[in-house]
Amino acid sequence: MLNLIKYEFIRKYKLIAVTIITAIALNIFLITRGVGGSATFLVLFPIVLFVLYLTDIIKMYSDDLNNKTGYMLFMTPNSGYKIISSKLLTAVLEGFALLFLYFIFTLINGAYIVVSTGAQIDYSQIIRVVDNLLSGSLGFSLSHIFISLTATLAFFLAFITTVYTAMTIRKSIFSEIKFGGLLSFIIFLCINWGISVISSRLFDIITPYYDSITNAILSAGRATPEELALILLPMTAFSIIQAIALTGISGYLLEKKINL
Amino acid sequence: MSQLKINGLTKKYYNKTALSDVTLNFEQGKIYGLLGPNGSGKTTLMKVVAGLHKQTSGNVLINDEELSYKTKAYISYMPTENYMYASFKVVDILKFFKDMYEDFRYDYAVALLNDINVNIDYKVSNLSSGQIGKLKTAIALSRDAEIYMLDEPLNGVDVLSRDTIMDIITKSYSENKIIIISTHLVSEIEKILDTVIFLKDGVVELFGDAEELRQTRGLSVEGLYKEVFKNA
Repeated sequence: MLNLIKYEFIRKYKLIAVTIITAIALNIFLITRGVGGSATFLVLFPIVLFVLYLTDIIKMYSDDLNNKTGYMLFMTPNSGYKIISSKLLTAVLEGFALLFLYFIFTLINGAYIVVSTGAQIDYSQIIRVVDNLLSGSLGFSLSHIFISLTATLAFFLAFITTVYTAMTIRKSIFSEIKFGGLLSFIIFLCINWGISVISSRLFDIITPYYDSITNAILSAGRATPEELALILLPMTAFSIIQAIALTGISGYLLEKKINL
Repeated sequence: MSQLKINGLTKKYYNKTALSDVTLNFEQGKIYGLLGPNGSGKTTLMKVVAGLHKQTSGNVLINDEELSYKTKAYISYMPTENYMYASFKVVDILKFFKDMYEDFRYDYAVALLNDINVNIDYKVSNLSSGQIGKLKTAIALSRDAEIYMLDEPLNGVDVLSRDTIMDIITKSYSENKIIIISTHLVSEIEKILDTVIFLKDGVVELFGDAEELRQTRGLSVEGLYKEVFKNA
Protein backbone atom coordinates (compact mmCIF):
# COMPACT_ATOMS: atom_id res chain seq x y z
CA MET A 1 0.00 0.00 0.00
CA LEU A 2 2.79 2.45 0.93
CA ASN A 3 4.47 1.80 -2.42
CA LEU A 4 1.25 2.56 -4.28
CA ILE A 5 0.81 5.84 -2.38
CA LYS A 6 4.47 6.70 -2.90
CA TYR A 7 4.15 6.38 -6.68
CA GLU A 8 0.88 8.34 -6.72
CA PHE A 9 2.78 11.25 -5.20
CA ILE A 10 5.80 10.78 -7.46
CA ARG A 11 3.44 11.02 -10.43
CA LYS A 12 1.93 14.28 -9.24
CA TYR A 13 4.82 16.02 -7.45
CA LYS A 14 5.49 18.29 -10.43
CA LEU A 15 1.87 19.43 -10.52
CA ILE A 16 1.93 20.13 -6.78
CA ALA A 17 5.25 21.98 -7.12
CA VAL A 18 3.87 24.13 -9.95
CA THR A 19 0.76 24.89 -7.86
CA ILE A 20 2.84 25.98 -4.87
CA ILE A 21 5.20 28.11 -6.96
CA THR A 22 2.27 29.76 -8.78
CA ALA A 23 0.52 30.39 -5.46
CA ILE A 24 3.65 31.99 -3.98
CA ALA A 25 4.15 34.15 -7.08
CA LEU A 26 0.49 35.21 -7.09
CA ASN A 27 0.59 35.98 -3.38
CA ILE A 28 3.71 38.12 -3.77
CA PHE A 29 2.07 39.94 -6.68
CA LEU A 30 -1.14 40.59 -4.71
CA ILE A 31 0.73 41.59 -1.56
CA THR A 32 2.45 44.34 -3.56
CA ARG A 33 -1.07 45.71 -4.17
CA GLY A 34 -1.51 46.21 -0.43
CA VAL A 35 -3.75 44.76 2.26
CA GLY A 36 -6.67 44.38 -0.14
CA GLY A 37 -4.60 42.20 -2.44
CA SER A 38 -3.48 40.04 0.43
CA ALA A 39 -7.05 39.60 1.65
CA THR A 40 -8.22 38.83 -1.90
CA PHE A 41 -5.64 36.07 -2.07
CA LEU A 42 -6.86 34.57 1.21
CA VAL A 43 -10.43 34.53 -0.08
CA LEU A 44 -9.85 33.35 -3.66
CA PHE A 45 -6.95 30.96 -3.18
CA PRO A 46 -8.87 28.28 -1.21
CA ILE A 47 -11.64 28.28 -3.85
CA VAL A 48 -9.19 27.84 -6.73
CA LEU A 49 -7.18 25.33 -4.73
CA PHE A 50 -10.29 23.28 -3.92
CA VAL A 51 -11.36 23.15 -7.58
CA LEU A 52 -7.84 22.11 -8.64
CA TYR A 53 -7.71 19.54 -5.86
CA LEU A 54 -11.04 17.98 -6.81
CA THR A 55 -10.03 17.86 -10.48
CA ASP A 56 -6.72 16.25 -9.58
CA ILE A 57 -8.07 13.51 -7.34
CA ILE A 58 -10.76 12.59 -9.85
CA LYS A 59 -8.20 12.59 -12.68
CA MET A 60 -5.84 10.48 -10.57
CA TYR A 61 -8.29 7.56 -10.71
CA SER A 62 -9.88 8.31 -14.05
CA ASP A 63 -6.51 8.31 -15.87
CA ASP A 64 -5.67 4.87 -14.53
CA LEU A 65 -9.01 3.46 -15.59
CA ASN A 66 -9.16 5.06 -19.02
CA ASN A 67 -5.57 5.36 -20.24
CA LYS A 68 -3.10 2.65 -21.17
CA THR A 69 -0.79 3.88 -18.40
CA GLY A 70 -3.30 2.29 -16.04
CA TYR A 71 -1.75 -1.06 -16.99
CA MET A 72 1.29 -0.07 -14.93
CA LEU A 73 -0.91 -0.13 -11.85
CA PHE A 74 -3.39 -2.87 -12.68
CA MET A 75 -0.79 -5.40 -13.81
CA THR A 76 0.84 -5.33 -10.37
CA PRO A 77 -0.10 -8.10 -7.93
CA ASN A 78 -2.12 -5.72 -5.74
CA SER A 79 -5.76 -6.43 -4.94
CA GLY A 80 -8.50 -4.11 -6.13
CA TYR A 81 -9.23 -3.22 -2.49
CA LYS A 82 -5.63 -2.17 -1.97
CA ILE A 83 -5.59 -0.09 -5.15
CA ILE A 84 -8.79 1.81 -4.36
CA SER A 85 -7.75 2.32 -0.72
CA SER A 86 -4.38 3.71 -1.80
CA LYS A 87 -6.16 6.19 -4.10
CA LEU A 88 -8.39 7.31 -1.24
CA LEU A 89 -5.51 7.67 1.19
CA THR A 90 -3.54 9.62 -1.40
CA ALA A 91 -6.51 11.94 -1.88
CA VAL A 92 -6.83 12.48 1.89
CA LEU A 93 -3.09 13.09 2.37
CA GLU A 94 -3.02 15.48 -0.55
CA GLY A 95 -6.01 17.31 0.94
CA PHE A 96 -4.26 17.69 4.29
CA ALA A 97 -1.08 18.91 2.56
CA LEU A 98 -3.05 21.59 0.67
CA LEU A 99 -4.92 22.55 3.84
CA PHE A 100 -1.57 22.99 5.57
CA LEU A 101 -0.36 25.08 2.63
CA TYR A 102 -3.37 27.37 3.00
CA PHE A 103 -2.76 27.57 6.75
CA ILE A 104 0.82 28.77 6.09
CA PHE A 105 -0.44 31.40 3.64
CA THR A 106 -3.05 32.50 6.19
CA LEU A 107 -0.34 32.96 8.83
CA ILE A 108 1.92 34.90 6.46
CA ASN A 109 -0.83 37.10 5.02
CA GLY A 110 -2.48 37.54 8.43
CA ALA A 111 0.80 38.78 9.86
CA TYR A 112 1.27 41.05 6.84
CA ILE A 113 -2.21 42.53 7.20
CA VAL A 114 -1.68 43.17 10.93
CA VAL A 115 1.70 44.83 10.32
CA SER A 116 0.31 46.85 7.36
CA THR A 117 -2.43 48.36 9.50
CA GLY A 118 0.27 49.77 11.78
CA ALA A 119 -0.37 47.37 14.62
CA GLN A 120 2.35 45.28 16.15
CA ILE A 121 2.19 41.53 16.37
CA ASP A 122 1.66 40.90 20.04
CA TYR A 123 2.81 37.38 20.84
CA SER A 124 1.10 37.41 24.22
CA GLN A 125 -2.17 38.04 22.37
CA ILE A 126 -1.53 34.97 20.21
CA ILE A 127 -0.96 32.92 23.35
CA ARG A 128 -4.18 34.34 24.78
CA VAL A 129 -6.11 33.30 21.66
CA VAL A 130 -4.70 29.79 21.97
CA ASP A 131 -5.63 29.78 25.68
CA ASN A 132 -9.14 30.90 24.82
CA LEU A 133 -9.39 28.18 22.20
CA LEU A 134 -8.33 25.57 24.72
CA SER A 135 -10.70 26.86 27.40
CA GLY A 136 -13.59 27.37 24.96
CA SER A 137 -14.27 30.94 26.08
CA LEU A 138 -14.52 32.08 22.43
CA GLY A 139 -17.70 30.09 22.05
CA PHE A 140 -15.83 27.26 20.37
CA SER A 141 -12.73 25.28 21.26
CA LEU A 142 -10.20 22.92 19.72
CA SER A 143 -12.64 20.10 20.44
CA HIS A 144 -15.24 21.84 18.24
CA ILE A 145 -12.65 22.19 15.47
CA PHE A 146 -11.54 18.58 15.82
CA ILE A 147 -15.12 17.27 15.75
CA SER A 148 -15.97 19.45 12.73
CA LEU A 149 -12.83 18.35 10.88
CA THR A 150 -13.58 14.68 11.58
CA ALA A 151 -17.11 15.11 10.24
CA THR A 152 -15.82 17.00 7.17
CA LEU A 153 -13.30 14.25 6.50
CA ALA A 154 -16.05 11.62 6.73
CA PHE A 155 -18.32 13.59 4.35
CA PHE A 156 -15.44 14.11 1.95
CA LEU A 157 -14.53 10.40 2.01
CA ALA A 158 -18.16 9.51 1.32
CA PHE A 159 -18.22 11.93 -1.60
CA ILE A 160 -14.98 10.81 -3.20
CA THR A 161 -15.77 7.10 -2.78
CA THR A 162 -19.08 7.79 -4.53
CA VAL A 163 -17.22 9.41 -7.44
CA TYR A 164 -14.69 6.56 -7.59
CA THR A 165 -17.42 3.92 -7.40
CA ALA A 166 -19.31 5.56 -10.28
CA MET A 167 -16.13 5.44 -12.42
CA THR A 168 -15.45 1.83 -11.40
CA ILE A 169 -18.99 0.71 -12.25
CA ARG A 170 -18.74 2.39 -15.63
CA LYS A 171 -15.38 0.69 -16.34
CA SER A 172 -16.55 -2.74 -15.24
CA ILE A 173 -20.28 -3.42 -15.58
CA PHE A 174 -20.79 -0.84 -18.37
CA SER A 175 -17.33 -0.97 -19.92
CA GLU A 176 -18.66 -1.47 -23.45
CA ILE A 177 -20.93 1.54 -23.49
CA LYS A 178 -19.65 4.75 -25.05
CA PHE A 179 -19.75 8.28 -23.59
CA GLY A 180 -17.89 7.11 -20.47
CA GLY A 181 -17.63 10.50 -18.76
CA LEU A 182 -21.35 11.21 -19.09
CA LEU A 183 -22.22 7.67 -18.03
CA SER A 184 -19.99 7.97 -14.94
CA PHE A 185 -21.83 11.16 -14.02
CA ILE A 186 -25.23 9.51 -14.46
CA ILE A 187 -24.09 6.57 -12.30
CA PHE A 188 -22.81 9.07 -9.72
CA LEU A 189 -26.24 10.74 -9.63
CA CYS A 190 -27.96 7.35 -9.32
CA ILE A 191 -25.74 6.28 -6.41
CA ASN A 192 -26.39 9.60 -4.68
CA TRP A 193 -30.12 9.23 -5.22
CA GLY A 194 -30.00 5.73 -3.71
CA ILE A 195 -27.98 6.96 -0.75
CA SER A 196 -30.29 9.91 -0.16
CA VAL A 197 -33.29 7.56 -0.10
CA ILE A 198 -31.61 5.33 2.49
CA SER A 199 -30.33 8.24 4.57
CA SER A 200 -33.67 10.09 4.60
CA ARG A 201 -35.40 6.97 5.91
CA LEU A 202 -32.76 6.53 8.58
CA PHE A 203 -32.88 10.17 9.61
CA ASP A 204 -36.68 10.04 9.77
CA ILE A 205 -36.27 7.42 12.49
CA ILE A 206 -33.90 9.55 14.57
CA THR A 207 -35.55 12.94 13.99
CA PRO A 208 -37.31 13.10 17.41
CA TYR A 209 -34.03 12.47 19.16
CA TYR A 210 -32.36 15.06 16.94
CA ASP A 211 -35.02 17.70 17.64
CA SER A 212 -34.51 17.57 21.40
CA ILE A 213 -30.77 18.26 21.05
CA THR A 214 -31.31 21.01 18.46
CA ASN A 215 -33.87 22.73 20.69
CA ALA A 216 -31.50 22.59 23.65
CA ILE A 217 -28.73 24.19 21.58
CA LEU A 218 -31.03 26.87 20.16
CA SER A 219 -32.22 27.86 23.62
CA ALA A 220 -28.65 27.94 24.98
CA GLY A 221 -27.36 29.83 21.92
CA ARG A 222 -24.26 27.62 21.68
CA ALA A 223 -23.31 23.97 21.46
CA THR A 224 -20.89 22.20 23.75
CA PRO A 225 -18.37 19.87 22.05
CA GLU A 226 -20.44 16.93 23.29
CA GLU A 227 -23.61 18.37 21.77
CA LEU A 228 -21.84 19.14 18.50
CA ALA A 229 -20.50 15.58 18.42
CA LEU A 230 -24.00 14.23 19.08
CA ILE A 231 -25.47 16.34 16.28
CA LEU A 232 -22.82 15.31 13.78
CA LEU A 233 -22.57 11.69 14.92
CA PRO A 234 -25.40 10.18 12.82
CA MET A 235 -24.31 11.90 9.59
CA THR A 236 -20.63 11.19 10.26
CA ALA A 237 -21.33 7.53 11.05
CA PHE A 238 -23.51 7.24 7.97
CA SER A 239 -20.77 8.80 5.80
CA ILE A 240 -18.15 6.44 7.20
CA ILE A 241 -20.38 3.41 6.58
CA GLN A 242 -21.12 4.72 3.07
CA ALA A 243 -17.39 5.19 2.36
CA ILE A 244 -16.54 1.69 3.61
CA ALA A 245 -19.37 0.07 1.64
CA LEU A 246 -18.52 1.90 -1.59
CA THR A 247 -14.80 1.17 -1.20
CA GLY A 248 -15.73 -2.50 -0.81
CA ILE A 249 -17.89 -2.41 -3.95
CA SER A 250 -15.17 -0.64 -5.95
CA GLY A 251 -12.51 -3.06 -4.71
CA TYR A 252 -14.71 -6.04 -5.64
CA LEU A 253 -15.41 -4.69 -9.13
CA LEU A 254 -11.73 -3.90 -9.73
CA GLU A 255 -10.94 -7.43 -8.63
CA LYS A 256 -13.63 -9.34 -10.50
CA LYS A 257 -15.13 -7.33 -13.34
CA ILE A 258 -12.68 -4.78 -14.64
CA ASN A 259 -12.16 -4.24 -18.38
CA LEU A 260 -9.36 -1.79 -18.97
CA MET B 1 6.13 -26.14 -12.28
CA SER B 2 4.78 -23.42 -14.57
CA GLN B 3 1.46 -24.23 -16.15
CA LEU B 4 -1.20 -22.23 -17.91
CA LYS B 5 -4.56 -23.79 -18.76
CA ILE B 6 -7.30 -22.00 -20.62
CA ASN B 7 -10.68 -23.75 -20.63
CA GLY B 8 -13.59 -22.72 -22.83
CA LEU B 9 -12.65 -19.07 -22.71
CA THR B 10 -15.15 -16.71 -24.28
CA LYS B 11 -14.90 -12.95 -24.31
CA LYS B 12 -17.74 -10.93 -25.75
CA TYR B 13 -17.82 -7.22 -26.24
CA TYR B 14 -20.98 -5.23 -26.78
CA ASN B 15 -21.63 -6.43 -30.33
CA LYS B 16 -18.64 -8.63 -31.03
CA THR B 17 -17.23 -11.97 -29.86
CA ALA B 18 -13.49 -11.53 -29.50
CA LEU B 19 -12.79 -15.04 -28.20
CA SER B 20 -15.03 -18.03 -28.62
CA ASP B 21 -14.63 -21.16 -26.49
CA VAL B 22 -10.83 -21.12 -26.56
CA THR B 23 -9.17 -24.08 -24.85
CA LEU B 24 -5.38 -24.23 -24.66
CA ASN B 25 -2.72 -25.79 -22.48
CA PHE B 26 0.70 -24.19 -22.18
CA GLU B 27 3.62 -26.15 -20.79
CA GLN B 28 6.88 -24.89 -19.40
CA GLY B 29 10.09 -24.94 -21.47
CA LYS B 30 8.38 -23.86 -24.67
CA ILE B 31 8.08 -20.72 -26.73
CA TYR B 32 4.57 -20.32 -28.11
CA GLY B 33 3.63 -18.21 -31.10
CA LEU B 34 0.14 -16.78 -30.90
CA LEU B 35 -0.42 -15.95 -34.52
CA GLY B 36 -3.20 -14.25 -36.37
CA PRO B 37 -4.09 -11.08 -38.21
CA ASN B 38 -5.25 -7.91 -36.47
CA GLY B 39 -8.54 -8.44 -34.69
CA SER B 40 -8.15 -12.21 -34.35
CA GLY B 41 -8.26 -12.10 -30.53
CA LYS B 42 -4.55 -12.37 -29.63
CA THR B 43 -4.43 -9.24 -27.51
CA THR B 44 -7.77 -9.98 -25.86
CA LEU B 45 -6.53 -13.46 -24.88
CA MET B 46 -3.37 -12.02 -23.35
CA LYS B 47 -5.23 -9.26 -21.53
CA VAL B 48 -7.63 -11.77 -19.99
CA VAL B 49 -4.73 -13.91 -18.78
CA ALA B 50 -2.95 -10.79 -17.48
CA GLY B 51 -6.06 -9.83 -15.51
CA LEU B 52 -6.72 -6.60 -17.41
CA HIS B 53 -9.90 -7.88 -19.02
CA LYS B 54 -12.55 -10.11 -17.51
CA GLN B 55 -13.74 -13.09 -19.52
CA THR B 56 -17.42 -13.55 -20.29
CA SER B 57 -17.22 -17.29 -19.59
CA GLY B 58 -14.68 -20.07 -19.20
CA ASN B 59 -11.73 -20.07 -16.89
CA VAL B 60 -7.97 -19.65 -16.78
CA LEU B 61 -5.79 -21.59 -14.38
CA ILE B 62 -2.22 -20.59 -13.66
CA ASN B 63 -0.40 -23.25 -11.68
CA ASP B 64 -3.88 -24.59 -10.83
CA GLU B 65 -4.96 -21.23 -9.38
CA GLU B 66 -7.91 -19.28 -10.75
CA LEU B 67 -7.05 -15.84 -12.09
CA SER B 68 -6.77 -13.24 -9.35
CA TYR B 69 -4.46 -10.44 -8.33
CA LYS B 70 -2.19 -13.12 -6.89
CA THR B 71 -1.67 -14.81 -10.25
CA LYS B 72 -0.41 -11.50 -11.64
CA ALA B 73 2.79 -12.23 -9.72
CA TYR B 74 3.43 -15.24 -11.99
CA ILE B 75 2.93 -13.37 -15.25
CA SER B 76 5.15 -10.84 -16.93
CA TYR B 77 3.00 -9.25 -19.59
CA MET B 78 4.21 -6.80 -22.19
CA PRO B 79 1.25 -4.96 -23.74
CA THR B 80 1.55 -3.84 -27.31
CA GLU B 81 0.78 -0.24 -26.36
CA ASN B 82 3.18 2.16 -24.70
CA TYR B 83 1.79 1.87 -21.18
CA MET B 84 4.58 3.51 -19.23
CA TYR B 85 4.24 6.81 -17.39
CA ALA B 86 5.48 9.40 -19.89
CA SER B 87 6.71 11.78 -17.20
CA PHE B 88 8.97 9.14 -15.63
CA LYS B 89 12.60 8.62 -16.49
CA VAL B 90 13.49 5.06 -17.50
CA VAL B 91 15.29 4.64 -14.18
CA ASP B 92 12.07 5.58 -12.33
CA ILE B 93 10.19 2.93 -14.31
CA LEU B 94 12.78 0.38 -13.20
CA LYS B 95 12.39 1.48 -9.57
CA PHE B 96 8.61 1.16 -9.91
CA PHE B 97 8.94 -2.43 -11.13
CA LYS B 98 11.47 -3.21 -8.40
CA ASP B 99 9.06 -1.92 -5.75
CA MET B 100 6.03 -3.69 -7.21
CA TYR B 101 7.40 -7.10 -8.22
CA GLU B 102 9.48 -9.28 -5.93
CA ASP B 103 10.99 -11.07 -8.92
CA PHE B 104 12.18 -7.94 -10.75
CA ARG B 105 15.95 -8.03 -11.37
CA TYR B 106 16.94 -4.38 -11.25
CA ASP B 107 20.64 -4.83 -12.02
CA TYR B 108 19.85 -7.23 -14.84
CA ALA B 109 17.46 -4.65 -16.34
CA VAL B 110 20.06 -1.87 -16.10
CA ALA B 111 22.68 -4.07 -17.81
CA LEU B 112 20.19 -5.18 -20.46
CA LEU B 113 19.12 -1.63 -21.26
CA ASN B 114 22.74 -0.59 -21.43
CA ASP B 115 23.43 -3.43 -23.91
CA ILE B 116 20.58 -2.36 -26.16
CA ASN B 117 21.43 1.34 -25.96
CA VAL B 118 18.49 2.61 -23.99
CA ASN B 119 19.65 5.42 -21.72
CA ILE B 120 18.06 4.98 -18.30
CA ASP B 121 18.32 8.71 -17.59
CA TYR B 122 16.03 9.59 -20.49
CA LYS B 123 12.40 10.40 -19.93
CA VAL B 124 9.95 7.89 -21.44
CA SER B 125 8.32 10.72 -23.40
CA ASN B 126 11.65 11.40 -25.14
CA LEU B 127 12.18 7.84 -26.39
CA SER B 128 11.54 6.81 -29.98
CA SER B 129 9.04 4.05 -30.75
CA GLY B 130 11.93 1.63 -31.34
CA GLN B 131 13.42 2.46 -27.95
CA ILE B 132 10.02 2.13 -26.30
CA GLY B 133 9.73 -1.32 -27.87
CA LYS B 134 13.13 -2.32 -26.54
CA LEU B 135 12.38 -0.85 -23.12
CA LYS B 136 9.04 -2.69 -22.82
CA THR B 137 10.62 -5.99 -23.81
CA ALA B 138 13.63 -5.53 -21.52
CA ILE B 139 11.42 -4.66 -18.56
CA ALA B 140 9.07 -7.61 -19.13
CA LEU B 141 11.98 -10.01 -19.44
CA SER B 142 13.82 -8.58 -16.44
CA ARG B 143 11.27 -10.18 -14.19
CA ASP B 144 12.07 -13.71 -13.14
CA ALA B 145 8.47 -14.67 -13.87
CA GLU B 146 7.07 -18.09 -14.71
CA ILE B 147 5.09 -16.94 -17.72
CA TYR B 148 6.10 -14.25 -20.18
CA MET B 149 3.49 -12.87 -22.54
CA LEU B 150 4.77 -10.49 -25.18
CA ASP B 151 2.14 -8.82 -27.31
CA GLU B 152 3.50 -7.80 -30.71
CA PRO B 153 7.06 -7.19 -29.46
CA LEU B 154 8.23 -6.27 -32.97
CA ASN B 155 5.50 -3.77 -33.75
CA GLY B 156 6.82 -0.35 -34.73
CA VAL B 157 10.39 -1.49 -34.24
CA ASP B 158 13.02 -1.02 -36.95
CA VAL B 159 14.79 -4.01 -38.53
CA LEU B 160 18.00 -3.68 -36.50
CA SER B 161 16.15 -3.32 -33.21
CA ARG B 162 14.05 -6.36 -34.10
CA ASP B 163 17.15 -8.53 -34.02
CA THR B 164 18.05 -7.11 -30.63
CA ILE B 165 14.59 -7.86 -29.27
CA MET B 166 14.72 -11.40 -30.65
CA ASP B 167 18.07 -11.87 -28.91
CA ILE B 168 16.67 -10.71 -25.58
CA ILE B 169 13.74 -13.08 -25.90
CA THR B 170 15.85 -16.12 -26.72
CA LYS B 171 18.24 -15.31 -23.87
CA SER B 172 15.29 -15.36 -21.49
CA TYR B 173 14.29 -18.87 -22.45
CA SER B 174 14.66 -21.52 -19.77
CA GLU B 175 13.25 -24.98 -19.11
CA ASN B 176 10.92 -23.82 -16.35
CA LYS B 177 9.32 -20.88 -18.13
CA ILE B 178 6.54 -20.39 -20.62
CA ILE B 179 7.02 -17.72 -23.27
CA ILE B 180 4.05 -16.65 -25.38
CA ILE B 181 4.61 -14.23 -28.22
CA SER B 182 1.78 -12.78 -30.22
CA THR B 183 2.55 -11.39 -33.65
CA HIS B 184 1.43 -11.09 -37.21
CA LEU B 185 5.07 -10.70 -38.34
CA VAL B 186 5.48 -14.46 -38.58
CA SER B 187 8.63 -14.69 -40.71
CA GLU B 188 10.63 -12.66 -38.19
CA ILE B 189 9.74 -14.82 -35.24
CA GLU B 190 9.23 -18.26 -36.78
CA LYS B 191 12.73 -19.51 -36.03
CA ILE B 192 12.37 -19.29 -32.25
CA LEU B 193 8.91 -20.83 -31.93
CA ASP B 194 8.37 -24.33 -30.54
CA THR B 195 4.58 -24.34 -30.78
CA VAL B 196 2.22 -22.28 -32.87
CA ILE B 197 -1.38 -21.29 -32.22
CA PHE B 198 -3.35 -19.79 -35.08
CA LEU B 199 -6.24 -17.64 -33.93
CA LYS B 200 -8.89 -16.64 -36.42
CA ASP B 201 -11.90 -14.57 -35.44
CA GLY B 202 -11.46 -15.57 -31.82
CA VAL B 203 -11.31 -19.29 -32.54
CA VAL B 204 -8.29 -21.58 -32.40
CA GLU B 205 -7.81 -22.56 -36.02
CA LEU B 206 -4.63 -24.56 -35.62
CA PHE B 207 -2.46 -25.62 -32.68
CA GLY B 208 0.65 -27.71 -32.89
CA ASP B 209 4.37 -28.26 -32.72
CA ALA B 210 6.05 -25.91 -35.21
CA GLU B 211 8.53 -28.48 -36.51
CA GLU B 212 5.90 -31.19 -36.81
CA LEU B 213 3.61 -28.86 -38.76
CA ARG B 214 6.43 -27.92 -41.12
CA GLN B 215 7.10 -31.60 -41.84
CA THR B 216 3.53 -32.83 -42.14
CA ARG B 217 2.25 -29.85 -44.14
CA GLY B 218 5.43 -29.26 -46.12
CA LEU B 219 5.21 -25.53 -45.43
CA SER B 220 7.00 -23.04 -43.23
CA VAL B 221 4.97 -21.51 -40.41
CA GLU B 222 4.73 -18.37 -42.49
CA GLY B 223 3.45 -20.44 -45.43
CA LEU B 224 0.90 -22.08 -43.19
CA TYR B 225 -0.11 -18.69 -41.85
CA LYS B 226 -0.74 -17.42 -45.37
CA GLU B 227 -2.77 -20.51 -46.16
CA VAL B 228 -4.92 -20.34 -43.04
CA PHE B 229 -5.52 -16.62 -43.19
CA LYS B 230 -5.66 -16.05 -46.94
CA ASN B 231 -9.30 -15.01 -46.77
CA ALA B 232 -9.09 -13.24 -43.45
